[in-house]
Amino acid sequence: MINTTKHDHDIVAVRPGAERLTAFNAKTFKDEVVALIDDGVTSLLIDFKDVTFLDSSGLGALAGILKKIGHRGDLVICGLNSDITQMFRICRMDRVFKIYRDVPTALQTMSEAT
Amino acid sequence: MINLAKLDLDIESMQPSSAANLNGLDLTRVVRGLDLSHYVHIIMIAGADHATLSMQALDAESDSPVSKGDGASAIRANMRRARMRTASSLISRAHELAEQHRILREANDRIQEDLNAAALAQRQLLPEMHKDILGFHIASAFVPSAGVSGDMFGCFALPGNKLGIYAVDVAGHGINASLLSVAIGHLITPEFFGSIAFDAGGTPDLAGLVQNLNRRFCSAYNDGYFTMFCAIIDKITGNMDMCQAGYPAPVYVAPDGSSRFIGSGGFPVGMFPDATYENGKANFEEGGLLVICSDAASEAEDSHERPFGALRLCDLVARLRETDVDSIPGNIDKALRDWRGGKTLEDDLTVLALKRTKTDD
Repeated sequence: MINTTKHDHDIVAVRPGAERLTAFNAKTFKDEVVALIDDGVTSLLIDFKDVTFLDSSGLGALAGILKKIGHRGDLVICGLNSDITQMFRICRMDRVFKIYRDVPTALQTMSEAT
Repeated sequence: MINLAKLDLDIESMQPSSAANLNGLDLTRVVRGLDLSHYVHIIMIAGADHATLSMQALDAESDSPVSKGDGASAIRANMRRARMRTASSLISRAHELAEQHRILREANDRIQEDLNAAALAQRQLLPEMHKDILGFHIASAFVPSAGVSGDMFGCFALPGNKLGIYAVDVAGHGINASLLSVAIGHLITPEFFGSIAFDAGGTPDLAGLVQNLNRRFCSAYNDGYFTMFCAIIDKITGNMDMCQAGYPAPVYVAPDGSSRFIGSGGFPVGMFPDATYENGKANFEEGGLLVICSDAASEAEDSHERPFGALRLCDLVARLRETDVDSIPGNIDKALRDWRGGKTLEDDLTVLALKRTKTDD
């Protein structure tokens, strides 16, 4: 379901490929992103620009991806809408994930860090 | 007639390379070599040398080799036998399908019975709250989106004129979420709550309770986690100590009618083993109303996928403050169903309403 784009500095941008990341597709999303990590991707940018709704299962999938990549790589998120931003704030995910406004901003920051 | 297109035969690609070289025996062998879900009755008609061809046709697994010399009546007889054999095969297949359907239906009935029993057992764990405890009138609504649910809550008197309350929402739906919520419900007894939710000096420490649960439920093997709100309210002073662990902020309506969210967020439970939690404080005034709703309330979407939203929920609770506490959870459930145009919620809904009525019991 995911769409991927390779950028400079071996950064791979992932778009979930669904407007709603919920119990119905969260496991597929996680499995596909974890497969990228297993294939050696260490700099991941997940772009939520087209995602309008994220439920607790979607959040669990994101947390699972973060735990999977661990200290071996970098996981960055961008494009959160106001509702998902509020959910992140309530669950303190804003303290766990690196979050940027959009893809260009995230890519610039990730590139500078490499 | 054999419909070659239906049999998905690519004659041109077969060996020998030309279709012209494909005789009846070759075609019969090809058809028999196919993995078809149905039987193809093959009548082979020979122009001459009937005896030799009959043996070859039978070797190729043709059903009814006949000769042109046998005449039209022999061919019609073979066609009739083929139709009878097909009919017999269809009847046999129908019996097999009916039997498979019966087995599947019985298995589904057993699973459904088990799910209904599990849902009933889970509901019996959830307190039916329309009662007074320590001067707080408490009412609840529990609306599972499916038979079993990932929600759990409890409310009980603790030593020292204190009221303990918690609400849990396990991520996801179905059996997995239900099993975890039931495990939590069995664990958090009044005794457990009373022994873990206070520090050594006897001061409420809800963050300590959540930290304890986080240690118990963190697993490296799955993504299961839950959100939680828990509080201890002093009957005499109205002091409320609380911890919000990813659960939506409850709405508090003061006696003057002003409403606000309480809590500033916190990590969910069972997601990160090194998460830390914070104690919060609020004042629960006489006549004050506290309403705790699972995220099914704010996330309920109308036909245009617009969420009900936390602010609309806060306004609704404020409007309901003068109504009977017992009716508040049901009114919120009704407002959400109206918002969704009568459609059931996609997530489990828990509503807990507490009104502080008196302090001198």
